[in-house]
Amino acid sequence: MSGTRISATLVVNDDRTIACMACGHALGPAGEPWKKSARLDEGPMQGAGGAPYSNAERVLLRRFFCPGCGALLDTESALAGDPFLTDIVRV
Amino acid sequence: MSQQGDARYVVATDVGGTCTDAVLFAAGEPVRLGKALSTPPDFADGVLAAVAAAAESIAIATDELLARTALFMHGSTVVDNALFTRSGARTGLITTEGFEDTLTMTRGAYGRWAGLTEDGIKHPVATDRAPPLVPGAHTRGVPERVDYKGAVLRELDEDAVRQAVRSLVDDDEVEALAVSFLWSFYNDSHERRVGELIREIAPGVYVTLSSEIAPVPGEYERASTTVINAYAGRIASDYITSLQALLRGRGYDGPLLVMQGYGGLLPAEEAAERAVGMLECGPAAGVIGSRHLGSLMEDEDIIACDMGGTTFKVGVIQGGTIDYAREPMVDRFHYVAPKIEVVSIGAGGGSIVSLDPATGVPGVGPASAGARPGPVCYGLGGNEPTLTDVMLLVGYMDPGTFLGGTITLDAERARQIFTEKVATPLGMSVEDAAIGIYRIAAAQITDLIHEITVERGLDPRDFVLHAFGGSCGLLCGVFGAELGVRRIVVPYTASVNAAFGLLSADIVHEYSVTKTLPAPSPAAEINEIYAPMLARAREQLASEGFADDAIALDWSVDLRYSRQVHEVTTPVAGGGPMDEDAVARLTADFEALYERKFGKGSAYRAAGTEMTMFRLTARGLVERPRVETAALNGADPEAALIGRRDVLVEAEGGLAPANIYDFERLVPGNVVAGPAVIHTPITTIVVQSGQSGRVDAYRNTIIERD
Amino acid sequence: MDAITFSIIRHRLFRVIDEAVITLKHVSGSAITNEGHDLMVSLYRADGSLLMGGVGFLHHLTSAAEACKAVIRRFEGDIGEGDVFLTNCPYTAALHTSDIYLVAPIHHDGRLVAWSACFVHVYDIGAMVPGGFSPDSRDIFTEGFSSPGIKLVEGGTMRRDVMDTLLNMVRAPEMVALDLSSMIAANNVARERMGALIDKYGAEPVDEACAALVDQSETLFRKRLRELPDGRWEARQYFDIEDETCRVLLAMTKEGDELTFDFTGSSPQSHYGINCTYWASWGGFFAPLFPLLCYDITWNDGVLRPIKMIAPEGSVVNCTRPAPVSLATVGAIQSVNNAACTCIAKMLSASEKYAKEATAVWHGSHFAIFMFGLNQRRQEAIGILTETFGGAGGARTWADGIDVGGEIPNPIGRMANVETTEATFPVRYLFRRARPDTGGPGRWRGGNSIEFALVQHDSPEGGINYVVSGKGTEFSMSEGLGGGYAGAPCAYRWVHNNEAGEAGRNVNPFPTELDEMTGEAETISWGVFPLKGEDALYVRSDGGGGFGDPLEREPARVQADIESGMVSEGVAASVYGVVMANGAVDEDATRARREALRATRLATPMAAE
Repeated sequence: MSGTRISATLVVNDDRTIACMACGHALGPAGEPWKKSARLDEGPMQGAGGAPYSNAERVLLRRFFCPGCGALLDTESALAGDPFLTDIVRV
Repeated sequence: MSQQGDARYVVATDVGGTCTDAVLFAAGEPVRLGKALSTPPDFADGVLAAVAAAAESIAIATDELLARTALFMHGSTVVDNALFTRSGARTGLITTEGFEDTLTMTRGAYGRWAGLTEDGIKHPVATDRAPPLVPGAHTRGVPERVDYKGAVLRELDEDAVRQAVRSLVDDDEVEALAVSFLWSFYNDSHERRVGELIREIAPGVYVTLSSEIAPVPGEYERASTTVINAYAGRIASDYITSLQALLRGRGYDGPLLVMQGYGGLLPAEEAAERAVGMLECGPAAGVIGSRHLGSLMEDEDIIACDMGGTTFKVGVIQGGTIDYAREPMVDRFHYVAPKIEVVSIGAGGGSIVSLDPATGVPGVGPASAGARPGPVCYGLGGNEPTLTDVMLLVGYMDPGTFLGGTITLDAERARQIFTEKVATPLGMSVEDAAIGIYRIAAAQITDLIHEITVERGLDPRDFVLHAFGGSCGLLCGVFGAELGVRRIVVPYTASVNAAFGLLSADIVHEYSVTKTLPAPSPAAEINEIYAPMLARAREQLASEGFADDAIALDWSVDLRYSRQVHEVTTPVAGGGPMDEDAVARLTADFEALYERKFGKGSAYRAAGTEMTMFRLTARGLVERPRVETAALNGADPEAALIGRRDVLVEAEGGLAPANIYDFERLVPGNVVAGPAVIHTPITTIVVQSGQSGRVDAYRNTIIERD
Repeated sequence: MDAITFSIIRHRLFRVIDEAVITLKHVSGSAITNEGHDLMVSLYRADGSLLMGGVGFLHHLTSAAEACKAVIRRFEGDIGEGDVFLTNCPYTAALHTSDIYLVAPIHHDGRLVAWSACFVHVYDIGAMVPGGFSPDSRDIFTEGFSSPGIKLVEGGTMRRDVMDTLLNMVRAPEMVALDLSSMIAANNVARERMGALIDKYGAEPVDEACAALVDQSETLFRKRLRELPDGRWEARQYFDIEDETCRVLLAMTKEGDELTFDFTGSSPQSHYGINCTYWASWGGFFAPLFPLLCYDITWNDGVLRPIKMIAPEGSVVNCTRPAPVSLATVGAIQSVNNAACTCIAKMLSASEKYAKEATAVWHGSHFAIFMFGLNQRRQEAIGILTETFGGAGGARTWADGIDVGGEIPNPIGRMANVETTEATFPVRYLFRRARPDTGGPGRWRGGNSIEFALVQHDSPEGGINYVVSGKGTEFSMSEGLGGGYAGAPCAYRWVHNNEAGEAGRNVNPFPTELDEMTGEAETISWGVFPLKGEDALYVRSDGGGGFGDPLEREPARVQADIESGMVSEGVAASVYGVVMANGAVDEDATRARREALRATRLATPMAAE
């Protein structure tokens, strides 16, 4: 995959768009938050990784997927209503 | 163990990573040296080659020499090698149920950082554990439990043991088994029973019990030791057995004595069961040799240095006694076995000189050009400047006389590569840069020695420095002076350090009992602890042919202040059995030792003192001929003067003319005034200005301040 | 300064610290210092700025610099040769009162040329709870004695009045005296060795080399920062204490060769002692920064120069006196560590060159259990269970996290043997092992954590007490990276075997799993609890964060994890999409399962909705 790497899963292409490193699916303009362009599964952290995930029920695991290929692009632990974490890389 | 028939030689061979050394001597004859390349994995070939080389110097065949040999002493790196190359047995571990991960967890990060350099430790993301010798899948927990007093809380479940052994042997196809239970050093009944069951169910499997190989507290280190022994056990025993057979086949019918890491010898049959004992036995032998040389020269406080191609090693002898390492490791694995402490840094003749790519700051080692391709000046294809090349550039080595003239050094190429890779980038002249690198190496060595002496509360100025190894003589005049040691001895046997050490070693059995008693405790109680150890030791040594007058039994006790973690092994003055006075004396001696080791004010006495381990060192004193001394001649070394050239004279801060001598032509009694360089067939000795070098009656070179 | 002399002096400075650390361990003789390496010795320049940091608990490298500077301000004109000053006030420099700094000026020819400083976590500090960790403290006044600066040694002579006063305020004064002696001895060694260095090379050249060393670190660090992309990265840490939920929010901005750590938006300070002070937050992000970004650069003031911090006053990361802070080191400071690790790792993973240096969070909760009571020999025993130093590695971008592999801020910690703890405290372990499925799933799996259980054994008082300072039970604090999941959270259970026995049930004395225990397991996380009679304490620490998409993990690695018992088959199927059949990976079923899981993902709503 061409483009300039901006995270473990994303690149910025020559046309200044952020894209999935795995499939090239575009996720919005470079320098902007991209997570809204991803698919999101937000569910309880409890049990998400197996039995020892005995987190409180209110604790959520957010998983952001590439709408193109379903690759898992990023995760967050969150309480409901807390904003997405925003990472901006200027390349 | 007396000499038999007309046999009269004592032969010692040491198998190192690169070379195998042999030393032989007999009453009335000088010491002879032999050297050959080591030949892994069939090390015995190299052993015979080194013996042949030594035999050649007295013009007899190897078989004849062996037929006339009374004692054959041997040290080998075979077990270290088995671990480094991961060529040991497929091994399983049986341990207390609930604690199956003890070995693989390595006390947390300990196994991840231990054995790394400071640079490695500062970079945790790049670190990992070594893959364990026994993977988690080959570990079985069985129900049993003993507590901190040695009381059985839960009986051993023998059916579970049988099942574990069968599945390890049948399903996992293990060839060796280690057994290590919690608190087994206080109560070994469960381990012994498991040993019996294994021998019953799977008689072909090699077994090691932790309570036999390492009966000491600390389940992680104990299990690790047990596993190492099981893993390398068969290799060690096969090696020793086949060496013994080989020697028998060549006409030797005396005992084969094998060196242990604690600096004593064991008869072959016993050594074969204690693979872990052979670890690092070469460096240990070197320190033992140093102690022996010191006793001949009446020096009891010695810093024993050995600098070869890749490392600089140092051990410390204080008052004739040698400290054991606190947390020994082999490769990245911990073990507990009495082992003479020898610390090292990657600074040897082959160490590569390089500039840090980011900062341009020069450094020496730890990377090494090894024997192949070796230093640039050897002309064997080496392309990285090494410390040996620097020695050539500062004038210490003579291109024409290196190793008795067997290799001609390529000074031109060494100069060219050094200029390109070091001097030019540093913006310095070749000479200045080479002198600077020399100083960095000397400073690193000074710092290392400082560290290991200061760590024990010792002042290097009270010590004599022994300079063994091919490269040590080139630097010892400088770092010895900075440390302020009393004098420097470059031994005649400098190049065969470990083999020489074997010659001076005795048969030594170490026994210990772990038990906590307050100090003082009634002497009778202590004597009772020793009784079974003494009986075992006497029986053992008697079976090895030692009469009562050739047996020495040294008692020592580990003591500590009850709220502090540091334990100090304290010798029982006057040996045992003890009376109440001796117990009081022991406590007093401990206090003095503690203060000396850890500094004034370090002891916290109010919570009391306790004894934690009772040790017995049983020595069978090996009879050996005396090394002959030569008559002393006049001081004038004129007859050995072979030239004069510019060399680094540290006090001048640069190159200056110095006399060059041929060691072979120096005679005992000669005194060489510094600055001077003495070339021996194997190494070079540099005497700095303000120092003089005297050849003593053993042909050692003694460097002293004027 | 020529490169040769510089190289030698730099090496010698390392050795000065080494020897001082050895001395400190020798004299102290305590388990937390010797086993846990919960200590630090470093050298500072005449103005108190960091010259060379040793490998110890890294939060302290910068905080001890503040301790030096505070002493310089407070004692101006009264700093003499052979003096040693004590500071443990968290609002001046220290992390919490239990971590005492002793700082000592180094003079040469009558001139102040440098400082040495060290710390140990002392045996007791006179707080509400023995050992110092005081869950019930509501202000700094109940957290033991606290000095912004006092001269303990004057001209080489101990000030008896000061020492006696300090020792009069603590439990087990003899053990505290030993801790203080060990630090004095370490400072003495540092002073002597620095003196020898200056004697040999001269005061000017040594000073010049020190200045060059600091400049060199700055140059190298700025160069590294320029190699990394500009940007702004966010991290968020939650922790719960009783009824409170705290957030530590971090936005790290990198521009050119400068970094800013901005904690704006973090929660107001807590009622509980998990807060940390300004300098503790400052040290808190340097602890991961040094090893993650400066692994090949000397740790000194040069690394500090390109860094700015914004920490709102009155927040959990910059609390206002007299807020309590006794649990700061396992509280807010740990969250600052974790958030900084995440932001730095995200920045590193945005670089082709440095992605291999990125790591998910290690040992996020830094759980700590402090024990106190009489031991089997009727001695007062106070101390931490060293399993806290066991930790769990975060996954790297090229390798799994290390099971029970430690932590980043204390690079050479380790835990004690079971036999050591059973000999020191009146307890018996029921089991101690790595806990499967605790490491965060990912293409590279987070390191699994440790689980263990204890009962009292041979206690002269029928038991002992312990402090649980337990954030990290509701929230996973070891965040994942690049799609990796956070590690599993901690769990603490007080297993009521006593009640089970009273109710007539047979108490199982040898359970090897939590599930095999007889009594009801009560979830606990905060406070002081008894370990008495037949009751048991079960602890599971949190796993390391994972890296990358679990569906991308090579099936062979999942199989190896199943074989070694580190991952269950259930998790292999549900999270990794790896289906096993007869002990081997079922390739077809795995492919199908992974496709199905991807399809489920593609059926999720857009995040914007």
